[in-house]
Amino acid sequence: MNEVAQANHTEKKAFLVKSSSLKDVRTFCREVFAKLQIEQNLKDELVLAIAEAAQNIVKHAYKDDPNTKDIMVVKISCEDNKLQIAFYDRGTPVDPKKVKHREIDNIKPGGLGTFFIQEIMDAVEFKEGGKPWINHLVLTKKL
Amino acid sequence: MTYKVTEEALAHGNVCTIFLDGEIDMDVVEKAKEVIFPHIDAGKEVHLNLSQVQYMDSSGISVLIESHQKALEKNTKVIIKDVSKSVLKVIMMAKLEQILNLE
Repeated sequence: MNEVAQANHTEKKAFLVKSSSLKDVRTFCREVFAKLQIEQNLKDELVLAIAEAAQNIVKHAYKDDPNTKDIMVVKISCEDNKLQIAFYDRGTPVDPKKVKHREIDNIKPGGLGTFFIQEIMDAVEFKEGGKPWINHLVLTKKL
Repeated sequence: MTYKVTEEALAHGNVCTIFLDGEIDMDVVEKAKEVIFPHIDAGKEVHLNLSQVQYMDSSGISVLIESHQKALEKNTKVIIKDVSKSVLKVIMMAKLEQILNLE
């Protein structure tokens, strides 16, 4: 639990859907979390979870369109000490039933990003995208 | 990500130390593999110094796993050295601290 009471706050930013944007996504998150005075350990975890979700958009939702010029939007909201991070993209529709991480004891490369997201966040929900979006992922965490 | 490679011949064989620097994510994993894998394929013991790596995501962790498994196939080993606190936390979250050779 964060000892600093969080003021309500919302920021969003668009990024090109490409792997080189992931660093910019992390920078954006770190800047917002600094404003929210989130302590370092939690900040590191949240940045990892958000970057993994953004990576999933690049890697999976746009798997068949690696040279896309599309954007994805990351929106961070903090209200009543509850953090909500929303992602919007226009890639291939995600089937939530197919989103699962590998068995953690089955040591092999890959399949850890979703595991990290689930470990760090309190809730992971796929919602209706709403025009012009296709996918809308929402991660939440009580501060 | 930047890197530096040093090599030395020891009694038990050639040891290659690779110093990685920066943030290891999906955008740089191919470069990391290009730096690391040839030394493992050559049968060298590889020391990965991660003291200057402050961030690593699941893609970076996958490179560590792949390097470790590749080394086992080649009868050599990869030793991960001076791992930063933030990266160690991710390694532990992936429950790999008992699998990878950490020093």
